[in-house]
Amino acid sequence: MVLIINTTSTKELSQELKRMLTERNTEFEIVEADSMNISPCLGCNFCWLKTPGTCTIKDDYEGILVKMINADQVWIVSDTALGFIDHKGKNIIDRIMPLVTMNLEFRGDEMRHVMRYDKCADLGIIYLGEGNRDYLDQWTKRCALNLGSRALGAYPFWELKEVAACMQ
Amino acid sequence: MHAVIINGSPRVKQFSNTDKIISKFAEGFCRDGNTYELYSISDRREWDDARKAYYNNFNIIIALPLYVECVPGLLMEFLETLTPKNEYTQISYILQGGFAEGSQLRCGQDYMKILTKELGCSYGGTLVKGDNFYIRFADERERERRTGIYKEMGAVFSRDGDFFSDDCIKFTGPEVFSLPIRLMLGLMFKTLAKGLAEKTAAGLGCTKPIDCKPYIKNPLPEEMPTAEGIGCRI
Repeated sequence: MVLIINTTSTKELSQELKRMLTERNTEFEIVEADSMNISPCLGCNFCWLKTPGTCTIKDDYEGILVKMINADQVWIVSDTALGFIDHKGKNIIDRIMPLVTMNLEFRGDEMRHVMRYDKCADLGIIYLGEGNRDYLDQWTKRCALNLGSRALGAYPFWELKEVAACMQ
Repeated sequence: MHAVIINGSPRVKQFSNTDKIISKFAEGFCRDGNTYELYSISDRREWDDARKAYYNNFNIIIALPLYVECVPGLLMEFLETLTPKNEYTQISYILQGGFAEGSQLRCGQDYMKILTKELGCSYGGTLVKGDNFYIRFADERERERRTGIYKEMGAVFSRDGDFFSDDCIKFTGPEVFSLPIRLMLGLMFKTLAKGLAEKTAAGLGCTKPIDCKPYIKNPLPEEMPTAEGIGCRI
């Protein structure tokens, strides 16, 4: 299942993706997170050490997290700021910490957190505005590496057709 | 020299590793009569003053923890409210994280360069160091051992006005660990480190295994479960 989390107010983008994915018979779900109440991660680490696997911030994010656990691909649609995804997009990623445990292991030549669940969704970014594509690609790869999954790339919104082709 | 230091950690000051690092850094920085003013992003009431300080000063240091390979979302939200300045303003960074290898912080460090450019300022370098996760849980002696080393870096910044010197590069430590060290650490992760994490969790009142799975994976539940409603699957 492809999970698309749209943190922007551009609903037309969701509509277009919906149209393209329906045509392709792709199983998908779109979450309109812009209107949701999603706080930033406060770095309490309670999701590792006090309430393992559960974020102590009680807002609208918990439902998204559960959907992520069950997805094969997660695409975050985000506005950009200062060359990067904006804080709304970053908050979605920062709050994934319950998906990893406090325990460590080496994967390749770097330390990683041991994953809490057997598998983690592959990760992609769709961005609006002036993002630094090279950096967003690099960052998405690093994020996926930490999650033991694959990076699907960072795409500007005008490449939506190419993105839809990657969604399966 | 006068510096504006912005603590970019979302964690409240009391529990902020970054705050403890800044304290030590500032000790070294102020040794030669330098002064600084500090603002914490975790307290939104300080945002107006932090913005004013950014506009009215030319030497800015942003200290931050690495959150998923880059700037924490809360700090990003603050940065989005800033208007670009000019090259006479220098921004330098103290970037810290939990993983011990230098390589783990390079993606974040790369963004520091992009961010500075986006804000129209000059880049004063990034002081990079990992292995800081346990600062807030450590006793006083251990905390001093982990943070005291930043005092010298404060003095280096006072001397050079940036983080480009060999002293700063060496400060990061190993980029990655050699194979024998990785094998040894890998064994420690499965034994001692796991025990330490469990002990820390118990100290916080945790009664579940730290690797429990509160959300049952597949088949997809009809109704969205909440953590309270589901027992841990070990």
